[in-house]
Amino acid sequence: MSFRKRNIGLSAGADRAPAPNAATAQPEQASTTPESNPGIRPSPDDGRPTTSTGSLSLDNLLAGHGGLPIGKMLLIEENGTTDFAGALLRYYAAEGVVQDQKIHVIGMPEQWGRSLPGLLGPADAGDDKKSDRRKGDRMKIAWRYERLGEFGAGVAGSRGWSSPMKRNAHVRGTQTLTRVAPAATSGDQTMTDGVQPAFCHSFDLTKRLTHPSIANINYIPLVPSNEPLFASIHKKLQQAISQSPPNIAHRVIIPSLLNPTLYPPETSQPDILLPFLHSLKALLSAPTTRITAMVTIPLSLFSRSSGLVRWMEIISDGVIELCPFPHSADALGASGAATSHEEPPQGMLKTHRLPVLHERGGGSDQNIGQDWAFTLSRRKFEIKPFSLPPAEGDKEAQDGAASGGMPKKADLEF
Amino acid sequence: MPAQPPLPPLLAPYVSALPQSSLTLLSSVLGATGNWLILRYLYSALGAPVGDAAFGLHGSEGGRKRKVVLVSFLRGWEFWRSEAKRLGLDLARLTDKRQFAFVDGLSELFYTPTPSSQTTTTTSTSGPAPSRTVLPVRSQPGPLPARGVPQPAPARPTPTNPHQQVQQQSRGPGPVKRLHLSGTGVQALDALENDISSVIKQLKTPVTPGEEEPEILLIVDQPDLLLAATGPAKGIGATEMGEWIMGLQQNVHATVLALSADSPLIHNAAESAHQPSTPLEMESAAFAIGSAHRAQMVLQLRNLETGAARDVSGVLRVSKGGAWGQVDAGAEDKWEEREVLYFVQRDGGVCVFGRGE
Repeated sequence: MSFRKRNIGLSAGADRAPAPNAATAQPEQASTTPESNPGIRPSPDDGRPTTSTGSLSLDNLLAGHGGLPIGKMLLIEENGTTDFAGALLRYYAAEGVVQDQKIHVIGMPEQWGRSLPGLLGPADAGDDKKSDRRKGDRMKIAWRYERLGEFGAGVAGSRGWSSPMKRNAHVRGTQTLTRVAPAATSGDQTMTDGVQPAFCHSFDLTKRLTHPSIANINYIPLVPSNEPLFASIHKKLQQAISQSPPNIAHRVIIPSLLNPTLYPPETSQPDILLPFLHSLKALLSAPTTRITAMVTIPLSLFSRSSGLVRWMEIISDGVIELCPFPHSADALGASGAATSHEEPPQGMLKTHRLPVLHERGGGSDQNIGQDWAFTLSRRKFEIKPFSLPPAEGDKEAQDGAASGGMPKKADLEF
Repeated sequence: MPAQPPLPPLLAPYVSALPQSSLTLLSSVLGATGNWLILRYLYSALGAPVGDAAFGLHGSEGGRKRKVVLVSFLRGWEFWRSEAKRLGLDLARLTDKRQFAFVDGLSELFYTPTPSSQTTTTTSTSGPAPSRTVLPVRSQPGPLPARGVPQPAPARPTPTNPHQQVQQQSRGPGPVKRLHLSGTGVQALDALENDISSVIKQLKTPVTPGEEEPEILLIVDQPDLLLAATGPAKGIGATEMGEWIMGLQQNVHATVLALSADSPLIHNAAESAHQPSTPLEMESAAFAIGSAHRAQMVLQLRNLETGAARDVSGVLRVSKGGAWGQVDAGAEDKWEEREVLYFVQRDGGVCVFGRGE
């Protein structure tokens, strides 16, 4: 294809061409999407319904779907005695409360629900200022990566509900996506300015959530009965789900699974635990229900190198491991911040498996293979690429970085 | 990376033409799952649409019909149906044509649903379910629609029609047999075996009298879950599982077995391990290694040793199993041991290539 021809294609007149297609092809698809559900939107990757985890950067980590796909279970493992995973669970629960979804909490008293973080507003609003401020730096340093999108403001970041045209582009695949992208992003602006409901909210850990539907949280206590513990939990969960209206979305939250202060010792037997997780997965993947689940497990008690934990991971759709830095590493953490105004990372985050992506075979995600660091602040759980700055004494490298990586024009001429 | 056909040429010798009464072991790890490879087996047996000259293997195979029974313990019908659709296989239609049968080992394996939820599932199948199934994962793996060329009219309406047909089909009594484990030990396994072999027999009985008996390929996806979730405490160990698989093999032409072979499940059982191994680890290792010894071919999937990469999903190593060379040598000349890289693309296509290619 000659250059000229492509150029014509890029002009405004030809650009309209996909739009009529969208108009003709879209109605039947659009009519089938569950528009009635707040907090559920089609994935930009393949159109499957997703829901937010309540934490914008975790949403963006999930293999381009911009949220946790419906029917998937996320396992969050945590090393040490900290409770970062618990904070993620609270965001997840609070997001569900705000979106009027049904929450099922297993093994926690009602106080747990009363300590959910308070609502600040849609997550995008808080982010805009920050990305504006960063824009200057970013343009200078890496202008050519600009269109790839910044992590955290990426696929899902500022997008509201998709316009028909944008959806069309996504559904067709990545080849068309790049070409329609300019139009799509301009469409985003108008869409977010509109009245579309927010997909993800931001919460304040120091405040308490007050919301009318917070009373609807279903607590499933761990009480001994003549039935096996997990069988009775499963039965209660199933009843609660089947009794609620079919359109409602559910979130199953299992904090600190197998923690010996909550669970009796025999529950860590594989022949008791794994059937439960397997049937939880079966419940989730039933085509008629909309359920997501988040499970946390303390890794200090149950090591990843044990067969049991590995089977829990195999059954789960997504596996994320949190490795908080010990306090002695505060110095390292401080230097790990790229700039002075960023907070130092509090730990490393590893993604061992991502929903849908690994089910299909893995690969092809831009977030794969990165080292992630997480920072939990009052307002958000932020996941950023982890990078160590140049060594303290390495003056040369620092100067080099400061003067900008762009070679001068003279350097490029031969 | 150039696009490759649904069955990449490098992969073709390993997934097609499985020898009579052979066992093929497919091992995967957490970050490199084998579902895409199972789909390639499905495609190789059921796909090969007419007019595709690239698949000469099938033409030379002669008139024997191929049918597939897929038993899955970790993925539901929805997953397999939508993923196969990305390859151009309509599993619901193939089920109707009695070329394919799915055995669901996920939904009701351990706990049966309460009657109330049973009714909701049956009644609401026509309700919100289509909305999820219709959300097109991707309309068609056809050529890239050229911009400015007004040709979508013939291509667009077609995807909707199969969808509607699928819904109507799946609304019926259901092509899906659901397994349920009850009791302990060998009896429980025997019951499962009976369920599966009844499906196989159903598929074997000729539709029209006088038809030649079809070749049946049995794919068992992650039966090691059964072992892990029961264990010796319930009277099911590696030996029982091995015999169970062998019993299933007797009814079919060839068997593909997909297992997890993560390092904790294999290496913790070794004498040299630092910590005492649990029964789960020992039985898993014994089952996986025992199966590898009985297999003709072992396909191992694993992550890249050098860390994750954006254009490589993992490494596929094909090696001879313990039973290699025990049957007629003719079938075994078709493939050689090798190690390749693979990359699963967003659209479901797979590239298989050698290192450095």
